[in-house]
Order: sequence, then structure tokens, then C-alpha cells
Amino acid sequence: MQNIPLTWWLSVATALFSLGLYGALSRKNAIAILMGLELMLNAVNINLVAFNRYITPQNVTGQVFAVFVIAIAAAEAAVALAIIIAAYRQRGTVNVDDLDSMKF
Amino acid sequence: MNIPFILTLILLIPLLGSVLILFIPGSNEKGIKNLAVIASLFPLLFSILVWIGYDRATGGYQFVENYSWIPSLNIQYHLGIDGLSIPMVFLSALLSTLGLWYSAKVIKHRVKEFFVLFLLLEASLTGVFVALDMVLFYFFWEIELVPMFLMIGIWGQKKDRPQYSAIKFFLYTLVGSVAMLLAFIAVYLNTGSWDITQIPGLLSFSPSLAALTFWAIFIGFAIKVPLFPFHTWLPDAHTAAPTAGSVMLAGVLLKLGGYGMIRILIPYFPDVFRASAIFIAALGVISMIYGALVSMAQWDLKRLIAYSSVSHMGYFMLGVAAAVYYGDLTSRTIALNGAVLQMFNHGIITGGLFFLVGVIYERTHTRDLTAFGGLSKHTPKYYAIMMVTAFASLGLPGLAGFISELLIFRGAFATMPVMAIIGVIAIVLTAAYILWKIVQYVFLGDFSQEKWDKIFDVRHWSWGEDIAPFEVITMVPLLIGMVWIGVYPLAILTTINQASYAILSSAF
Amino acid sequence: MEQLFALTPLIPVFPLLAFALIVLWANKNNKLSAGLAIGGIGLSTLTSWAVIAATVAAGHEVQIAGWSLPVPWLPTAASIFNTGFAVDGFTAAMLFMVPLVCTLIFIYAAEYMEGDPRYARFFAYVSLFAAGMLTLIVADNLLLLFIAWEIMGLCSYLLIGFWFEKDSAKKAGLKAFLTTRIGDVLLFAGMLFLYSRTGTLTFREIFKPEVLDELSRMLIWGLPASTVISLLVFGGAVGKSAQFPLHVWLPDAMEGPTPVSALIHAATMVSAGVYLVARMLPLFAIVPQGTLSWVAIIGSVTAFFGATISIAQNDIKRVLAYSTISQLGYMMIALGLGGFLAGVFHLLTHAFFKALLFLGSGSIIHAVHHGAEHADDHHTDPQDMMNMGGLYAKMKRTSWAYFAGTAALVGIFPFAGFWSKDEILAEAWVQWHEAGSIGLPFWAWLAGTLGAFLTALYMGRQIGLVFFGKPRSKAAEHAVEPGNRMTVPLLVLALFAAFIGFINVPFIANGWLHHFAGLVHEPAEVLHLEAVPFQISVALVSTAVALLGFFLGWGMYRNLKAGQQDPLARMLGPVFTVLKNKYYVDEFYKFVFIDTTVALANFSAKFDYDWVINPIVNFVGNTGRLLGELSGRIDTVVVDGMGVLGTARLFKWMGRELRLTQTGQAQNYLLVIALVSLSLIAMYLFGI
Repeated sequence: MQNIPLTWWLSVATALFSLGLYGALSRKNAIAILMGLELMLNAVNINLVAFNRYITPQNVTGQVFAVFVIAIAAAEAAVALAIIIAAYRQRGTVNVDDLDSMKF
Repeated sequence: MNIPFILTLILLIPLLGSVLILFIPGSNEKGIKNLAVIASLFPLLFSILVWIGYDRATGGYQFVENYSWIPSLNIQYHLGIDGLSIPMVFLSALLSTLGLWYSAKVIKHRVKEFFVLFLLLEASLTGVFVALDMVLFYFFWEIELVPMFLMIGIWGQKKDRPQYSAIKFFLYTLVGSVAMLLAFIAVYLNTGSWDITQIPGLLSFSPSLAALTFWAIFIGFAIKVPLFPFHTWLPDAHTAAPTAGSVMLAGVLLKLGGYGMIRILIPYFPDVFRASAIFIAALGVISMIYGALVSMAQWDLKRLIAYSSVSHMGYFMLGVAAAVYYGDLTSRTIALNGAVLQMFNHGIITGGLFFLVGVIYERTHTRDLTAFGGLSKHTPKYYAIMMVTAFASLGLPGLAGFISELLIFRGAFATMPVMAIIGVIAIVLTAAYILWKIVQYVFLGDFSQEKWDKIFDVRHWSWGEDIAPFEVITMVPLLIGMVWIGVYPLAILTTINQASYAILSSAF
Repeated sequence: MEQLFALTPLIPVFPLLAFALIVLWANKNNKLSAGLAIGGIGLSTLTSWAVIAATVAAGHEVQIAGWSLPVPWLPTAASIFNTGFAVDGFTAAMLFMVPLVCTLIFIYAAEYMEGDPRYARFFAYVSLFAAGMLTLIVADNLLLLFIAWEIMGLCSYLLIGFWFEKDSAKKAGLKAFLTTRIGDVLLFAGMLFLYSRTGTLTFREIFKPEVLDELSRMLIWGLPASTVISLLVFGGAVGKSAQFPLHVWLPDAMEGPTPVSALIHAATMVSAGVYLVARMLPLFAIVPQGTLSWVAIIGSVTAFFGATISIAQNDIKRVLAYSTISQLGYMMIALGLGGFLAGVFHLLTHAFFKALLFLGSGSIIHAVHHGAEHADDHHTDPQDMMNMGGLYAKMKRTSWAYFAGTAALVGIFPFAGFWSKDEILAEAWVQWHEAGSIGLPFWAWLAGTLGAFLTALYMGRQIGLVFFGKPRSKAAEHAVEPGNRMTVPLLVLALFAAFIGFINVPFIANGWLHHFAGLVHEPAEVLHLEAVPFQISVALVSTAVALLGFFLGWGMYRNLKAGQQDPLARMLGPVFTVLKNKYYVDEFYKFVFIDTTVALANFSAKFDYDWVINPIVNFVGNTGRLLGELSGRIDTVVVDGMGVLGTARLFKWMGRELRLTQTGQAQNYLLVIALVSLSLIAMYLFGI
């Protein structure tokens, strides 16, 4: 594993992040957006672990952060899905273009 | 007769009465009226006691009360009276009692407020005469405006524009007071004292500043007197005010200015006063003649008497001017005696005249002279009382008005004969407007029952009915005063003379 | 006897008390009121007699120097002004005349006024009137005199306007008061000059030679103080004694009830002016060529002028009124020539016979009035002599009394007027001859003698018109003599008119009055007080003109028929019209003084309230209000509008515009975040 340079990891993560960002920005379905978000979080996780491995291998801060991010992502997914379900119940749709009640 | 805090009591009892009335329900009119009259009897009694108890041999300020009030500014609660203020305090108490008694019979509308205000008015008016601290003086001076303002505004007749008159009265006098307040502060800054008795000895103004301060205070007082050309608020205020309000206005309020001139201006600024005495005397003489002429042209009885006040207070002004001008002390003292007595006489005489106008006004709701005539035949008592008062007003010897005119002219002929000789023209004019306008139009001539019934509301005044007993009772003390002073002026003049002599001999 | 002097202050008190009692208590009861009034004046008369007795008994010293009682009255700085009472020979002489004549008039009035609805009021007024006159006489200082003087003015006002339902009466009262008040004001000014220059008003103090001397040397506006003061004092007398040019009120005073006319013309009002000049004579005499001659000039003019008007009047009382004016002129002539006693003597005799004539005329009017009522005639003026005639046959008592009064007035020997008028003319005559040239005394004598002729003429005319010939109206035909209460006073007065002159006849006791009353001004040392010897030539001339005038008038009018033209009017033509209209003085005064004053008053009132002063006040007020409104506008528009609210509006606008960026779609926001992050990174990377 050592021979694989850090940039590769980072490139994978960037690609993943970009996919997630694209998904989050372009999809209209709230669930799809949520999935995009998850992708971005995972990209971050990859970064965290990669940096930890290559820059400070003596401790495990990166991994710990990644674990936290996963936990939070799970919680977030739960909350977000709950909101989406609630919104669906309210509006009968999960299309974010129709969910613009934040607008003044 | 040594009642402690007697002066405070004179102020406090009406005030207390006024507060107590607030707690009586408005429907209990009888209780309100009784309480008001009783509350005003005490100051009257006390003012008589003070007059008797005043030691003429010693002179000076007596019954003095002096306590610190606002120490940081050196302001004191300082009361005291001398021969100048005693008649004024008495006058104020007497007219208040009579006014309240009279009003108790005729006021039928918003009774509670009226009596609360009236007692407040009494307390504040008396306060001006007993205050010996400039702040206290100013305090009472301003307080008095409020009840008077409301009395004119609320109880005035619609057709007399009460609001206009009340506001005119209030603002006009307030303008004067503001200048006066500034001048008072200037005096304080110069002397570090508000004490009216101490200031003459401490005051050290440069001549120009003294003149400025003098005129600032003078205008404040002159508006109140009122001196030509500051008099036009008076006829409006008088016509609009209810009867008792007019009485207090003419009887006491106008005296505040005159009192202030003698109490404050003469001792503070004798030299400035002397230097402008001719000018002030000229204003006085103009007031006398001009006021009389304008009176002569009036067809409204109250307005006529209001202008006659301008004329009569012109006599007062001439007396004061003569008293401060160059001349021997005796003549000047006589002039000042005359001026003070003129204030007192004007109070009882013109007060009386307003009561008498009230007699017909309450019944007929008109004051138009052309509506009347021939009353002498049908209301002999009213005629008799009116004649005594009217002749006292025109200065018939044997009645009060003459004595003060005599003294004023006696002083003026000695110090400023030209002014005096011009001024005597006013005596003829006064006779003319009183006899021609008041007596002839109201009392003489023929008057038939048809005309009577047409003009007078028969419910209020039926054919053949004379002045009511309560009105006679109101007038009796005033008539006694007029005759007494006219026949034997020694009693009142001894007190006044004491003060005038002291004021003039220490001022110059 | 000396103690009797102490009664002096009581003399005016009795009528005053009567006045007070009637006003306050007895006013409903006519009989009681009249009783009180007559009782009051009666007591005064008795008291006066006691005082006169004391004066007579006290001898010459007291008659000159007088008895006096000072009363402290006004405090003046460190001193006290004393008022007080005094009696000397002059006062005593007046005290004989005034209360007595008043009493007779009161008794007469008790019947004359019967049936008047204000009977009690009348007696209250006349009592006060009498009190005023009596106070005036016993005053020892000018101030008390002035007070009494003005009280009389008041009473004359009330009494002249007594029948105030009549328009003419109420105007006459006003005119009397205001005209005399002009004089009063002059007197007031003179009195105060005197007081302020000498420090005293007590007669005895003023007339000390050193005080008089000081007064003549002191200057007021470049004139000697004595001249200024005496002219002003004389002004007062001119008003009160109805001298030209302030005489206009007196004829109008006839509007009052006849007893009042008698009271005013004889005992009280008009005598007061003469009394004042007589009392103050030393002051006039300090500068003989100054003021005193003015008194004589005015007197001469008035004596002649009054008599001329009198011949053209038809109202029985107006004839007498102008006669009074003229007679007062004689008194002024006497005083003006320095003949103190001649003036005083004529004052006393005139009071008796003029009271008599007035009461007599009242009696005639009363009779004619009753006659008119009897004949059921309400249009005949009972005062118009043209409606009378032949009354001698109907009222003998009145007629004889009236003849006595006429004889006295005309100056027929030995009636009172003969002696007193003669003394005046003699005074002028002697001074004329002493001077040796035609000067003031000559003109005074001429005016007096011509006046005497005219007096006789108008009295002859009156007697002829009233008592002789045939009645010219129904009213006169039915006239009847009034009752005793009216005729007895007439007869008493007739006795006095006939005989009172003898108190100062030169042949009896050397002119008794002269020694009793004539020397009161001796201490002043400025007047020549010796009596003028009887001048037989003067007496002859004046008797001749009097008889001529009387019979001329009597002859012309004795048989005048109803509707016939007045013979004098035929003779004099337009002159008569001028005289009948009193030289148009009233019209002139109305035009010059009254209308001007009223116009000035109206102008002042307009000036005050409509044109200048009040508009200025209102202008200031309105300016204040406008300024207020303007400030209000500025406040709303600038301070509030642009400042406070402006800021708020700015932010509101910004908010409104910017909220467009808030689509409410999280994706947009996210895009922005992404773009911004990218640009930040780019900035970092490229080192911007």
C-alpha cells in the first residue's frame, strides 16, 4: 500500500466528492440529494484516512474523525430521511423545487 | 394672637381643601360647596389676625418662616409679610371667600373641578404675596396661571371664545414670566441668593446689565398689571371668564404685577427705575386716558369694566413712577401709599363691579348695554349698590377710589407735574364712561314690562324682582370697605404708609 | 358759649344720618322719610344757630381767626394730614343761610313731591345734598371742602336726573355732572399743586403771609405758583357756579323737580363756587393784576351774558336759571374787584330771594299742572309762561311772595337785592373813580348796570306774562293755590327777601355783617377789607334802570294774548333767535367737545382691538403658530422623513431587493457555497 502515492487517494476522494456534489446540486429528488451528501462525506472520510496514513501515521486521529463522520452521517441520514418523509406527507412530493417554503 | 406657622396655614388650608374636595364624589355638590367656602374662611380669618397682630411700631417683615428647601441651590421656603403685603393677602382672602360663596350659588356645571381649581387659585395667589424667596415667588406666580386658564377655558361662555381667550391669557403672561425667570437667575448668579430681603444689599450689576435685568422683570410685571400696550389679553380674559373668575382676575391677579414692582423692582434697581420713571409714568398716563377712552366706546358691560381696569391700573403706575422719581421723600411716600391703596381699592371696587355685572348676566345672559335701561325704577337695591360701586370707581370723594387717586396725584404733582396734569383728564373721562355708559344705559330711562319680558328670561328674573339676598351679602363687605376707606382711610393707610416709607427710604 | 363750637361737626351729620336712615331703613315709608329729612335739616338749623350764637358771643378775635377742630386723617410718610372743622364769621354767616333755606325747601318739597313714586328717594338725596353743603361750609381745609363739593356734584346728578324716565332729564343730569367735573378736575389739580408746594391744605396755614409770599415767588412752568393755583381753583368755581363758559349745565338742571332747582340755585351747589372763591380770596389777591382780574372779567361777562339770554326764554324756570347765572356773575365781579364782603353779602341775599322765586315758580307750575289735569289736558307744558297769565287772581299768596322776590332781585329799595347789588356796583364805581381811567372796574360797572336793566326787563316780562292779563290756556284758568306747606315757606322767604338786606346796611350798625364776617381774611394781609361807603349816585342810577326795565317788560307783556307774537321777538328779530338759542353754545360744545371725544373713544377702541394693538398681539400669536407649523413640516419632511424613516426605508429596500437571491432551495445555496469555496481556493492557489 505504501507504494501507492497519496495523490491517488486524493484523486479518488476528489472524484467521489465531485460526484457527490454534482448529485447534490443537480438532482431534484431529496433522497438523491441526500445520497449525494453521503458521497461527499465518504470522500472526506477517504481524505481523512489517507492523510492520517501518509502524514501522521503515529496516531489515529484521522480514523477517529472518520468514525465520527460516519456516525454523524448516519444520524444525519436518519434525520434527513425523517424530514423528507414528513415533507412528503405534508406536500406529497420530495421534489426540492417544490419545497421552497424557506423563501421569504 | 400668635398662631404658629400662620402664613403657611393661610397657604395650606385652601390647598388642603382643594385636595379634600377631590375625594368627595362629584354628585355631592352641596358638600363640595360647603367645604370650599369653609376652607376659604380660614385664610380670611388668619389674614385679619395677621393684620391685627402686625406690630406697626417695629415694622419690617413679621411672621417670618424660613426653612431650607433646596439646599444645593440655596433656595429657601421663606415667608413673611409687611405693610405692603398685608392688604394684598387680605384682599386675596376676602375676594376668594366672596367668590366662592357667590359661585356656590351660581355654578351648576362641573362643580367639583371648579371649586378644586378655585381653592388652588387662592392658595397660589396668596403665595405670591407672602413669598420672600424669588424661586418661591416665581413658583406661585406660575402655578396661579393654571387654575385661571382652566376656569376661563371651561366655564367661559361659548360666544366669548373661551379657548382663544384662555390661551391668549396663558401665553401672554407666560412670555413675561420667562423673561422674568431669566432675570431672576441673573440676579441669583450675581448675588448667590434668592432671598428677596437680602438681595438689595448684595446686588452689584454693571449699569447696562442692571438695565437689562430691570426691563426683563418689568415687562413680566407690566403684562400682568396690565400696562398699555400689553393689555389686550385682559378684555378677552374678562369677558370669557365666569363671574367669580373675573373678580379674582381683576381683583387679585392684576395686583401681582403691581406688588412685584414695589416688592422687587424698587429695592433691587432703584436707580434704573428712577432713570426710566418718566417713561413709565408716560405709559401709566397713556393707560389711564387711553383705557378710559376705549372703555367709553364699549357696548359690552364686562369689556367696558375690563378696559376701566387698564385705566385704573394706569393710575397705579403713575403713582409708582412718581414714587421713584426725584422729589422729596414725603411726596414720594404719599405717591407710593396711593399706588398701593389704588391696588387694594381697585380690587374691591372692580371686584364688586364684576359681581354686579354677574347679577344681570346670570339672569339675562346678555351684557349688551343697549338691551337694558330703566332698571333703577324696578330694582332699587341693585341700583343703590351699583351706584355706590360705580361712584367709588370714578373716584367720588367719600368713597375709596378717591383717596388713592388723591394720594397718587398728590405725589405726582410734586414730582412730575406735567404727567399729573395730563393724567387728571382721565378723571373726567372716567366719570363720562361710567355715568354715560353704565349708569345711563343700564339704569336710567324708561323700561316697560314687555321689554323686560322680551329681554330677560322670566324664569330667571321676573318683573319686579330685585337683586337676590345672596348677592347683597356678597357685596356688603365690599361696600363697607369702599365707604370705610373713603371716610376714614387712616386705618388702612397707617399699615401701608409704614411699608412705603421703609421701602423708599432704604431704596434711595 | 365757647363749648357750643364743639357742636359744629354735628351740623352736617344730622342730614347725613337722615340720608343713611332713609336709604337703609325708611325707604318704604314716605311720611317717615320726609319726616327724617326735615328733622335732620331742622336739627342742623338749630345746631347752626347755637354755633352762630357762640360766634357772635365770642367776639371779634374769634370771628376773624376762627375756632377749629383738627382730625387726623391721612398718614403721609412721617407726618399725618389733618382734616377738620372750623368756624369763623364768614362760616357763621353761611351757617345762617344754608340750613334755614334748606329747611324751608324741604318743608315745601314734602307737599310738592307728593304722589311721586320715588318720594323717599328724593328726600334721601336732598338730605345728602344738604349734608354736602354743610360740610363744605364747616371744612377747615381745602380737601374736606373738595370732598363735600364732589358729593354735591353727585347729588346734583341724582336730583337733576331724578325723573330719569324722561330722556331730557337723564341727559341733563349727566351734563351737569360732567360739566362741573371739568371744573372739579381743575380744582383738584389746583388743590394738589397747593398741597405739594405748601405741604398743607388748611386754610389758616395757607393764608399766613409768609406762605402766601413763598407761593408768589415759587414758579410752576415759569408762572408764579399762586397764579397757576388760583386760576385752577377758579376753574373749579366756574364749573360749580355756572360761570361762562361752563354755565351750560345750569339751565338744563331745570329738569329736576323744582325744590331741587331751588336747592341748587340758592342754598347749595352754585353758592359753593362763590364760597370757594371767597374762601380762597387771599390766594387770588397776591398778584392783583393777575388772577383776581380774571375773576372780575368772567364775572362781568357772565352777568351780562346770562341776563341777555334770560329775556328770550319762555320756560318760567329757565328765566330764573339764567338769572342765577347772571347774579352769580355779580358775585364774581365783587370778589374779582377784591370786594370780599360785597360778594358774600350778595351770595346770602340772593340765596333767599332766588330760593323764593324758584319755590314760587314751583308753586305756579304745581298750580298750572293741577289746572291742566283738571281740564283733562295733557299737552300743555305747565312750565311755559306762554300758557299762563292772570294767575294773580287765583293765587294771591304766591303772587305777593313772588313780587317780593322780584323786587329783591331787581333791586328795589329797600329789598335785600338793592343793598347787596348796590354794594357790588359801588365797589366797581369807586375803583373806577380811584383809577381815574376806563379800566376793568368801569367795564364791570357797566356790565353790572346793563345787567341790572336786563334783569328788571326779564322779571317785568315774567311778572307780566304769569300774573297779569287773561289766562292763555285752560290749565291756567283752572289753577289753584297750593296748600300751606308750600305757601308758608314762601311767605317766610319773602320776609327774608324783604328784610335780610338790613344786616349790612351802611347806616345801621355801620354795616353789621361787615364786622362780623368781612374781616376773616385780615390775617393774610393782602386784601383791602374796609367797606365801600354808600354811593348815592350808583344807587340812583341802578334804581332808575331797574324801574325802567321792569315797567318796560311789564308793560309789553301785561296784556299778551294767546297765540300773539312775542313783542321782544318782533323788536329784536334775529338777535332774539340767537338769545333764545342761548348763543348756540350747547351746539358748539356738542360739536367741539362731545362729538370729538366720542369719536376719539371709538377710534381708540378700534385702534385697540381691531386695528393696531390687538392685531399685533394676534399677529405675534399667529406668527408663532405659523412658525410652529413650519417647524412641524420640516420635522416631518426633513428630520423624520429623511433621517429616521429614511434609514429604515433604505434597509427595507435593500432587504426587498436582496431577498430575490434567497430562492429557498438549498441546492442553490449549496451551489453558491461550492462556487465561493472554489473561488476562495483559486484565490489561495493563485496568490491573489
